[in-house]
Amino acid sequence: MDWIFLQETFVSLVSAVPLTLLLAANSIVLGAVLAVGIAVARFSAIAPLRWLAQAYVFVFRGTPLLVQLFIIYYGLSQFPAIRHSLLWPILREPYWCAVLALALNTAAYASEIVRGGLLSVPFGQIEAARACGMSRFMIFRRITLPLGVRQALPGYGNEMIAMVKATSLASIITLMEVTGVAARIISESYRAIEVFVVAGAIYLAINFLLTRLVQFVEFRLSPHLRQPVAVLPAIIEGEAH
Amino acid sequence: MSSSVAPVAISVRDIHKSFGPIEVLKGISLDAREGEVVSILGSSGSGKSTLLRCINMLETPDRGAVTVAGETIEMLAAANGKSRPKDRAQVDRIRSRLGMVFQSFNLWSHKTVLENVIEAPIHVQKRPRAECIEEAEALLAKVGIAAKRNHYPAHLSGGQQQRAAIARALAMRPAVMLFDEPTSALDPELVGEVLRVMRSLAEEGRTMLVVTHEMGFARDVSSRVIFLHQGQIEEDGRPEDVFGNAKSERFRRFIKA
Repeated sequence: MDWIFLQETFVSLVSAVPLTLLLAANSIVLGAVLAVGIAVARFSAIAPLRWLAQAYVFVFRGTPLLVQLFIIYYGLSQFPAIRHSLLWPILREPYWCAVLALALNTAAYASEIVRGGLLSVPFGQIEAARACGMSRFMIFRRITLPLGVRQALPGYGNEMIAMVKATSLASIITLMEVTGVAARIISESYRAIEVFVVAGAIYLAINFLLTRLVQFVEFRLSPHLRQPVAVLPAIIEGEAH
Repeated sequence: MSSSVAPVAISVRDIHKSFGPIEVLKGISLDAREGEVVSILGSSGSGKSTLLRCINMLETPDRGAVTVAGETIEMLAAANGKSRPKDRAQVDRIRSRLGMVFQSFNLWSHKTVLENVIEAPIHVQKRPRAECIEEAEALLAKVGIAAKRNHYPAHLSGGQQQRAAIARALAMRPAVMLFDEPTSALDPELVGEVLRVMRSLAEEGRTMLVVTHEMGFARDVSSRVIFLHQGQIEEDGRPEDVFGNAKSERFRRFIKA
């Protein structure tokens, strides 16, 4: 074992971790916002809005992320209208192309997860909110979404992990995130196994922390699903009915 | 009798409601005066729950008018010949004046008992949080579950959940309380605690419409009993009259069953 080489590789790859995290965080946040919008559109009373959301999910879930990334990175610049638009300073950056592709892709999957969560909200609880005089938006914000998100969180954890791993595709459009740096080191050293093993370990570590974070959030959001902590027994015993 | 001079709290005029080909309500009219406790009886399918749900527009009546504390819900004729509320904001406002208690409690499962009670006063009525909490704690004490205020609904018995739901409805300072079979989902030994709370509300002089199967409650607590049969009012009167000498054979059979 060449410990010195592994150590050097590790140091180089770790320096690329911030870019990987930034890609993942940006696309997850953007994707989540979009996902809620798409999920709500799926329930809309306006049929074209429902169709649009359905078509979106169909297209972005049904085509490879790499193809989407290529279309955005190589394809968009073919259109003069886009090259001359206000968005061009953003769209010509490989970084934003990657964020855009990742976000659009995860939004399709996440919208289905969110939709399932929203569908799981017991109708009686929504009806109770209506009976209190809450407006439709308030019911969504205070009751449906909080309950739906709690339901969706375990499934959404999977999607976040998938996104962390998917950031490695950004290396193909020149971004030097963890996989990009690993590929460069290999092209210089021809030591593919060591470098990719270190890169893999870094992704594993990131996803370990992410899993723990999701578990923690899930725990904090679900006290109503756990047995109550045994408070002071005296209080329970002395309690009137 | 004082109730004969009290102002009308709820007025329902000629309510019709169909689900598909089945006409559930065939023109119901009903006035409840302030302080009246009206028990609505009827076998299942008689339309009693639908009637209650039409009052706060959880079901939209096909025809007819609902007036709460002098304000009539404005309706429009929809394309299919049925009616629908003209102004959603008005419906929301009127709903906030009607406290609804459901058969299945319907407490918000992600909120504690106290959070359930203060939710609508804070967010719908925009009252100060501290005031809402103070009032909520008093209400929880009144229904006998003050010690459970930080528990989640799933950790309470059915009777406790229903009492929390009653406190949640009371927290809106409603003009009228609507009870939709509040004890039907409860184990027999838990029915009493909920009925006791409802009885104390009746004794305070609250206006209540109670859809129920509890004959004892209807007979002893309510000031008026209505018997629905196949979408129409078949009996309407003081409990001693209705139970004592019912005009309809069907009601006599109903109370014997």
